[in-house]
Amino acid sequence: MPEIVVEGISKTLGGLLTLGEINVNAADKDFVGILGPSGCGKSTLFNIISGLMRPDQGCVFIDGHDVTGKTGRVSYMRQKDLLLPSLNILENVSIPLVLKGLPRKKACDQALEHFKQFGLAGFEKYYPRQLSGGMRQRAAMLRTYLFSSDILLLDEPFASLDAITKRKMQSWLIDVFNQINPTVMFITHDVDEALYLCDRIYVLSECPTVVKLEIKIPFCRPSHGRTIVDPVYGVIRDAVMEALAI
Amino acid sequence: MKKYINTADRIVPVVFILILLVLWEYLVKLKSIPDWILPGPLQIVRTLAENAPLIARHAQSTLLECLAGFIVAIVFSFVVAFLMDEIALFKNAVYPLIVASQTIPIISVAPLFIIWFGYGMLPKIIVVVLVCFFPIAISLLGGLAAVDSDYLELFRSMQAKRLHVFRMVKLPLAMPAFFSGLRISAAYSVMGAVIGEWLGAKQGLGTYMTLSQRSFQVDRVFAAILAVTVLSAALFALVSFIERIVIPWNRFTEK
Ligand SMILES: Nc1ncnc2c1ncn2[C@@H]1O[C@H](COP(=O)(O)OP(=O)(O)O)[C@@H](O)[C@H]1O
Ligand SMILES: [Mg+2]
Repeated sequence: MPEIVVEGISKTLGGLLTLGEINVNAADKDFVGILGPSGCGKSTLFNIISGLMRPDQGCVFIDGHDVTGKTGRVSYMRQKDLLLPSLNILENVSIPLVLKGLPRKKACDQALEHFKQFGLAGFEKYYPRQLSGGMRQRAAMLRTYLFSSDILLLDEPFASLDAITKRKMQSWLIDVFNQINPTVMFITHDVDEALYLCDRIYVLSECPTVVKLEIKIPFCRPSHGRTIVDPVYGVIRDAVMEALAI
Repeated sequence: MKKYINTADRIVPVVFILILLVLWEYLVKLKSIPDWILPGPLQIVRTLAENAPLIARHAQSTLLECLAGFIVAIVFSFVVAFLMDEIALFKNAVYPLIVASQTIPIISVAPLFIIWFGYGMLPKIIVVVLVCFFPIAISLLGGLAAVDSDYLELFRSMQAKRLHVFRMVKLPLAMPAFFSGLRISAAYSVMGAVIGEWLGAKQGLGTYMTLSQRSFQVDRVFAAILAVTVLSAALFALVSFIERIVIPWNRFTEK
């Protein structure tokens, strides 16, 4: 069961207690949002969950195994697409498969099977610098998916896109994720994006960071992609805003 | 952006050089300056044409020394840059030494190589290596160090091995910087070889220069200088050409 349980994580960075005691979890196929002010330690939290960084205290359990400080179980995507300018999109996307030991040709073939689903068909031979930000994020998403398909950590994946592209990418994401059904943790500082995409949202406080609010979203991922008119939306949005002290 | 340089921008420097050459020719003629003091550009070209086979033979040895030294310097730079990048202790120990070595004037140590290794090609190749190594190694090292650490973290999260990270991420991302160092040393390499030849050699443009100069055949000296320039420019162009083949993706600019 791909589920994430983060228990009592705390971390001091540069002499400053950044993460207080953080408890968050994501059940199988959950889409969990993490909202919080800039600099509160959201990326740090993901660095810890992904195993890149060790927490001072606390543990990370995935599928019931203690994976604190161990990389390799989850895949992790950031705001920057981090595609290699030296490789074309197909080669970029197949990197995780190559790293897992597949021969290059086979890795490319396997990656190619997903190009249509991720809306990348026809762009295989392009270099990243020839593509728009949206297309690059799609490629980065597919690369992330090919490393570990069932648990994805997404750190502000759309933050650098313009508003229209962002909206398009959000409905694209809903579309793709409805097919692949991963467990997702999604960092954003965009309240509406969180309400639009997530089943559940954690709102984090300022440093030392703790979970200030956990809230379930009843109308997540609407298939129509339009504005949500449910009156509860406003109530939830206000609650989240208040927790963020906006 | 290179694409948008218009033709006028290209013509301007050419016209300017032509004006200078015409002025030079005119002054030499007007003041009837003798050839053994300052020949005019036409005379230089004439001398070059008359002595073409001989100069070509000398140029060949010089070119050989350049290429040999250049390749050795590249290989050497890669090894040193790789070790420095992977082993912090090695970098701390060697980096200051390499920088300090640049304060030693090549011209003052080159005669020693003649004493140690004779009048053959080897001492010239060593001079070329010394001249070329620094720009190449420093730019390669800079390129490796400038790789965005987010790439490294991403690859670490994918459990990539160090060698994989070096080959897939660091090396390609450092290539543009490496090639700019390479272009600089391509031009330097000819100079290095000529300096080596000045101090004593059987063959080469430097030898031809010293011989001509001793017999006051200034037009020949200038012809040799012209040959050196052409050689440097050709090596520069060669490196740019190779760069296009090795890193074709670098032509695309970030959107
Ligand atoms: N390696 C580090 N050393 C010291 N301080 C760090 C380090 N990484 C991040 N920080 C600091 O920790 C805080 C949280 O950073 P981050 O997790 O990136 O925040 P967020 O992603 O929520 O914007 C910031 O104030 C940042 O400056
Ligand atoms: Mg962040």
